Amino acid sequence: MKKIFFIIGFLISNNVFSILEIEILKGSDNLSKIAFVPFGVEENIKEVYGSKISKYIQENLLLFGEFENLDKAEMLSYPSSEEDFYYRDWKVLGVDYSIIGKVNSINSFGSLSISYSLFNINRRIKILEGEIVGNEDNLKGISKIISNRVYEEITGLKGIFDTKLAYVINSNSDTYQMCISDIDGKNEQILFTSSAPIMSPDWSPDRKKIAYVSFENGLAEIFIQDLSSGKRESIQALGMTNSAPVWSPDGKSIALVVSFSGNPDIFLYSIRKKRLIRLTDHYGIDTEPSWSPDSKKIIFTSDRSGSPQLYEINTQSKRKKRLTRDGNYNARGRYFPDGKSIFFVHGNNGRFQIATKKITSRYIETLTSTSLDESPTISPNGNIIIYATKNGSNGYLGGITLDGKSRFSLPLKNGSVREPAWSPLLN
Amino acid sequence: MEPIGIFILAMICQVYSCAANVSDSVERAQYASVSGEEYLQDDKLVTNLNDKVFFDFDKSTLDAEDKTLLEEYLPFIKRAKIVRLEGHCDERGTREYNLALGERRALEVRDFLVIKGVSGKKIRVVSFGEEKPLKNASNEKAWSENRRVEISLY
Repeated sequence: MKKIFFIIGFLISNNVFSILEIEILKGSDNLSKIAFVPFGVEENIKEVYGSKISKYIQENLLLFGEFENLDKAEMLSYPSSEEDFYYRDWKVLGVDYSIIGKVNSINSFGSLSISYSLFNINRRIKILEGEIVGNEDNLKGISKIISNRVYEEITGLKGIFDTKLAYVINSNSDTYQMCISDIDGKNEQILFTSSAPIMSPDWSPDRKKIAYVSFENGLAEIFIQDLSSGKRESIQALGMTNSAPVWSPDGKSIALVVSFSGNPDIFLYSIRKKRLIRLTDHYGIDTEPSWSPDSKKIIFTSDRSGSPQLYEINTQSKRKKRLTRDGNYNARGRYFPDGKSIFFVHGNNGRFQIATKKITSRYIETLTSTSLDESPTISPNGNIIIYATKNGSNGYLGGITLDGKSRFSLPLKNGSVREPAWSPLLN
Repeated sequence: MEPIGIFILAMICQVYSCAANVSDSVERAQYASVSGEEYLQDDKLVTNLNDKVFFDFDKSTLDAEDKTLLEEYLPFIKRAKIVRLEGHCDERGTREYNLALGERRALEVRDFLVIKGVSGKKIRVVSFGEEKPLKNASNEKAWSENRRVEISLY
């Protein structure tokens, strides 16, 4: 019996060797301080459930270095309901927000009802309360939902604690792995392992599929992999090189690059009809397409001016507009979720860094300070960018919050990690 | 084209290329023993000449040195059944742009060879962008060695 349990545990735990772990490098001095009060429990419920939930919520909210916490040992009391909550107990400790809650039992099959409240200590008001029903074996999932609501209430931004990250691991020169994990690096799953390079992962908007480039057949070829079945399907674009797949916001088509006879151009691939529609036609390199949030435009890199620069094209009228002029290398642009700004790789004096720019302005702002930065990806709430960079020959992921509050890194214990792709929110 | 069609096409290509290799290797093995300058390693035709040309950053043009190298190599290239040109870049800049740039480098070599009388039909072009560096380091020396087109003869 014990043996069977061991095997099952091994299968579920996937890859325990190469896990991404977020390390906060620089936090701001004036972060909001949150008290994550251990949740109270009803009499017949294990006390550990209450402390686990508050611990998971704390781990989520502190994940990207956007807040600081009040040490549990410093707390004057552990209130679990509004009647026991005294603002002055938290004010004296310099706390800005307190989260309290209680775990109640619904039935004997492990169904729980978790109530929670969030207090703004400076304004002396309760700003959020709610109740979630879930099972005792899913305390992490329940905590993610509470974390998202708390984060949204405090920052005004969508919570991203149930998002995922796709990335490529290159553990040695002949092993490439297409992986996904929760955004905190946990629950890593290897989707595909190959002895040939893997590139350019991109999530379908419903989070059910990933498109990526694989060289397994000797040339760059685009595959779509279904995450639940693991089934892979090649997009038969038949070019000399087929690459840079990016799903449209409605999930019905994929913008991609095909080079039929040595001239890469942008095409739209209709998933249902399996048909290619040409979007650009230029003898220069046109590549790295990405959709505007309203689906009307596509940003892409082209060297038609003599150096790689960013352009956008209207998918209907085919009208083009050049977006970058400063510097001799501006490539792999992506729109912010509001569609008003872009972020991209900016080359300047031999350094390649992540930069942003308003579409209407010429001013380019550099965000990173390392020099081999690439593949930036943005959180669905538009507040955090994760990118790939290098330390010696080892690739790791770096991250930055756009309000400047935090910088962090996601190193890999073994091997190199690259090409992060942040999943959309769950609908 | 339907996936099944592609599959059949791929099968035909595979059968054809196998057949070509078998008859050709006999012919070339005989030649190798005469010239002493080239020999067969499995299917691959190996010579004592440099089989790589190198490029400047974000450039795909061949300089005089590259052209001299290719011309020295030309007799072997002309005798080969299949010429495989593999374009590569250094790690700087973006991966997908580099994939396109590597292809352009390989095409530049192809165009030169075609002008020199090599049949375009036997040339295979593939780009690996920055995915397969020769030297896994982040310095000028490694970068200059990684910006290359590798020529393989079969």
